[in-house]
Amino acid sequence: MIKVTGLEDAAVVIADAMANQQHLNVQSMATKSALGRDVSYDSYLDVSAFTGIKDYQPDELILTVRAGTPMHEVEAELACANQMLAFEAPDLHKLLGTQSAGTIGGVLATNASGPRRLTAGAARDYLLGFDAISGRGERFKSGGKVMKNVTGYDLSKLICGSYGTLAVFDEVTFKTLPRPETNISLLFGCEDMTLAVAKIASVFASPHEPNAAAILPGSMAASAGVDVPGAMVVIIRLEGIDVSVSDRALHLLAADPSGAKINENSSSALWQRIRDVELLVNQPGDVWKLSCAPAAAPNIIAAVQDQFDITFFADWAGGLLWLAGPSGASFGKALRAALADNGSGYAQLVRDQADTKTVITPFQPLSSAHYALHKRVKAAFDPLSVLNLGRMHDGI
Amino acid sequence: MQMPKPDQSVIERRDTICRDLRNLIADHCVVDSVEGRRAYDADGLSAYRQLPLAVVLPETVEEIAAVMKYCHREGIKVVPRGSGTSLSGGALPLADAILLGLGKFNRILDIDYVNRCVVAQPGVTNLAITHAVQADGFYYAPDPSSQIACSVGGNVAENSGGVHCLKYGLTTNNLLGIELVTIEGEILRLGGKHLDAGDYDLMGVMTGSEGLLGVVSEVTLRILQKPATQRALLVGFDDTGSAAEAVGDVIAAGIIPAGMEMMDGLAINAAEDFANAGYPRGAAALLIIELDGPEIEVNTLIDRVTKVMDSAGASSLKVSNSEEERNLFWAGRKSAFPAVGRISPDYLCMDGTIPRRRLPDMMVRMASLSQKYGLRVANVFHAGDGNLHPLILFDANETGELQRAEDFGADILRACVEMGGVLTGEHGVGVEKRDLMNIQFTEDDLKQQQRLKCAFDADHLLNPGKVFPHLHRCAELGRLHVHRGKMPFPDLPRF
Ligand SMILES: Cc1cc2nc3c(=O)[nH]c(=O)nc-3n(C[C@H](O)[C@H](O)[C@@H](O)COP(=O)(O)OP(=O)(O)OC[C@H]3O[C@@H](n4cnc5c(N)ncnc54)[C@H](O)[C@@H]3O)c2cc1C
Ligand SMILES: Cc1cc2nc3c(=O)[nH]c(=O)nc-3n(C[C@H](O)[C@H](O)[C@H](O)COP(=O)(O)OP(=O)(O)OC[C@H]3O[C@@H](n4cnc5c(N)ncnc54)[C@H](O)[C@@H]3O)c2cc1C
Repeated sequence: MIKVTGLEDAAVVIADAMANQQHLNVQSMATKSALGRDVSYDSYLDVSAFTGIKDYQPDELILTVRAGTPMHEVEAELACANQMLAFEAPDLHKLLGTQSAGTIGGVLATNASGPRRLTAGAARDYLLGFDAISGRGERFKSGGKVMKNVTGYDLSKLICGSYGTLAVFDEVTFKTLPRPETNISLLFGCEDMTLAVAKIASVFASPHEPNAAAILPGSMAASAGVDVPGAMVVIIRLEGIDVSVSDRALHLLAADPSGAKINENSSSALWQRIRDVELLVNQPGDVWKLSCAPAAAPNIIAAVQDQFDITFFADWAGGLLWLAGPSGASFGKALRAALADNGSGYAQLVRDQADTKTVITPFQPLSSAHYALHKRVKAAFDPLSVLNLGRMHDGI
Repeated sequence: MQMPKPDQSVIERRDTICRDLRNLIADHCVVDSVEGRRAYDADGLSAYRQLPLAVVLPETVEEIAAVMKYCHREGIKVVPRGSGTSLSGGALPLADAILLGLGKFNRILDIDYVNRCVVAQPGVTNLAITHAVQADGFYYAPDPSSQIACSVGGNVAENSGGVHCLKYGLTTNNLLGIELVTIEGEILRLGGKHLDAGDYDLMGVMTGSEGLLGVVSEVTLRILQKPATQRALLVGFDDTGSAAEAVGDVIAAGIIPAGMEMMDGLAINAAEDFANAGYPRGAAALLIIELDGPEIEVNTLIDRVTKVMDSAGASSLKVSNSEEERNLFWAGRKSAFPAVGRISPDYLCMDGTIPRRRLPDMMVRMASLSQKYGLRVANVFHAGDGNLHPLILFDANETGELQRAEDFGADILRACVEMGGVLTGEHGVGVEKRDLMNIQFTEDDLKQQQRLKCAFDADHLLNPGKVFPHLHRCAELGRLHVHRGKMPFPDLPRF
């Protein structure tokens, strides 16, 4: 393992790996190193020493931080100014059985976003710029430290969710946002998934500005302390200033008096459990995540429930499904087949209990045309495949 | 502005090329007459004009693919064009390139309220999306001032914003999916009605790529429910520094208005002459702050913002009490460009971004540049996100004034970068800012961007001469300097 302190060092290590035709595994706190494809590397490039907050201007909504800074430090700094990273990055350490939430770099490299992603966007929507070393060992930057910028290609988008396969980044600049003053949640019991998705759609067709929407099976909701009759429970979060939140809740409950309301403390606690997938931590088997069109969720769930014993819940109004099911290839295959039958999206293996990744690829396979383009993009940044080769896809 | 030297051999083959194109797509979809081509010889940066080799106006995605495949095989350049409203010359034709117009792709394909999105062809105008869904209470948030004319495909290519992007984001934040035709004629889908794609975010890279990576042949856009209430404040200040600080104070108070615009004295008076919006003529700076959402929230925030403005030293303050009044507040700002057009024969609209706290410095700098070049400048400004729109007033009929105005503009953009900002906030680089790119970026930064270009278009056939000051051949960009057998660095700790 080679621990570097800055991009100059990283450039030297990468140049060396190029010279010796070695493949490196880029790691920060390595909380997620068990994830992704099973690949062996010649060496580790440890970037966890890239730490520290470089610049924070709350009234400009701009934060520049080094990529190895632990998430909890970033969040604590923002909290001092009553701000946040609005994409609400999940902390999967309980689900994955690791030590901590990891670093901001790890969050970016995996484009990890939580419940507010539905209305506020993903990690990729908040990264404004970065500086990095490419797999060619060359330093480059992209974007900037201002909120509005269309100068040159938006490589920030590309770097988010590239799992360290293109470049090693150091300083990253974000758009921050004020934290909402308060939040509450409304709960609606529904007979099935289809009705639950329709209920959410009706709330989003109102001007009452819901900001997150999840669907939990009744029994799971009960175990999370939310007792509402119905096979499915729809949870709607309202955020903002106090008078507004109460007023919106009043209107939504007047429109559907079957609903119930929970206050700020219970609401925050519940959404934290949804965000961090704690509701599946104690379920046996593998955990997959699936991103689909919200309206496709009921069909997808019905198709896999027919074949397997699963536990699941939905976030993003139905557009994000977290499912626990049997280890082995057949569960993932069924998920991907159901997805293909119901439009587009992707299914990814997140918690692997029994070497499932050796029998099915954890990332959604690419079509041949997409694969060819991905491979050319990889080569544009990392022609000798020095960085995280094969982490996402074979040869990429 | 130097464009790449046209390839004479392609120009000489013009007749053959037009005949070949007519075999690929319907006869009437190939425009080769001089008069026909003239209609496409410029975009919104009208100081630059060039007749294209030919104009093709395909009607189906298969036709786009066939044209692209043909051009790729024959080594013919392609310039994509939506509505031609670009202010940076992105859609400026080239003498040896066909202009691929997407105007016939003007249909909305799917309105999906359950998944809250609209699927549309790229030639549909921005405003048409909102028109298609507004009866049901929805709208499409990004609202460039050109929204009645500009196309959603062009919006994707430029990553366009509007006055409401402080709260609702730019095009890239409201785009769910695209269909893309590559220069090889391959049709690819990126994203869709789902939120996250899970592979490289190529849709994110396509957004803002100014027609250099591929042709957008379909878009899936997120739509939102219209806010229940919108109200605006009109606030005057005696100096721009206090106005800029007031903007920061609003954000520091935890409030993100739907829009926060600023105008300077010259712009205020030009707009007032034009629109009679009730702007304070004597003010040095004017803020228009719009709040939207549930009525009770908007009313509470209006009170809070009013307090912030008072303590920031506002010299005048009005709050809109009706839709009519709110629209009037905006009428001046929205007509700022034509209003300035009335006080000057020509103007150049610049578009840099700076960290907002540098605004007072920037105003001082602009005043001194204005003296140096002997040209007036009026400022409208997306204050919430630091995006400047200086309008440089000049007369193209006076010899040398266009050049002086361009030099003045370049100096403003240099100052933006020097103050920690960027060359363009929303109008794109195009040809206009191409030669300034190396102020903001190092040669290595630009080479890395061009390597990405090579992954999509290895022969530089798509929209060449735009964005990058120097075109490097892809083979040259791909070259590596590997020092085999080099001593591994001794000073780094190994475990
Ligand atoms: C395959 C995989 C899937 C995941 N899926 C999800 C998910 O669906 N939802 C979710 O919330 N979280 C997911 N994560 C977890 C996410 O990575 C963590 O939330 C993150 O914070 C871990 O931080 P870390 O510092 O421990 O990163 P590590 O575990 O050290 O690294 C995570 C990834 O980021 C890369 N990386 C880290 N720092 C840098 C850097 N400076 N430059 C370049 N690359 C870097 C690594 O190469 C690796 O690919 C996933 C992680 C992986 C690897
Ligand atoms: C009066 C006025 C006000 C404006 N206000 C704003 C504003 O408030 N905010 C803002 O952001 N912009 C503004 N603009 C700039 C302009 O309207 C936007 O950049 C717009 O998005 C361009 O769209 P278009 O369809 O006219 O594209 P065009 O001008 O035709 O093309 C622009 C670029 O996009 C490429 N392109 C077009 N269509 C496609 C496609 N389908 N596939 C691939 N590439 C394509 C072209 O090659 C070119 O590089 C304004 C312009 C004017 C004239």
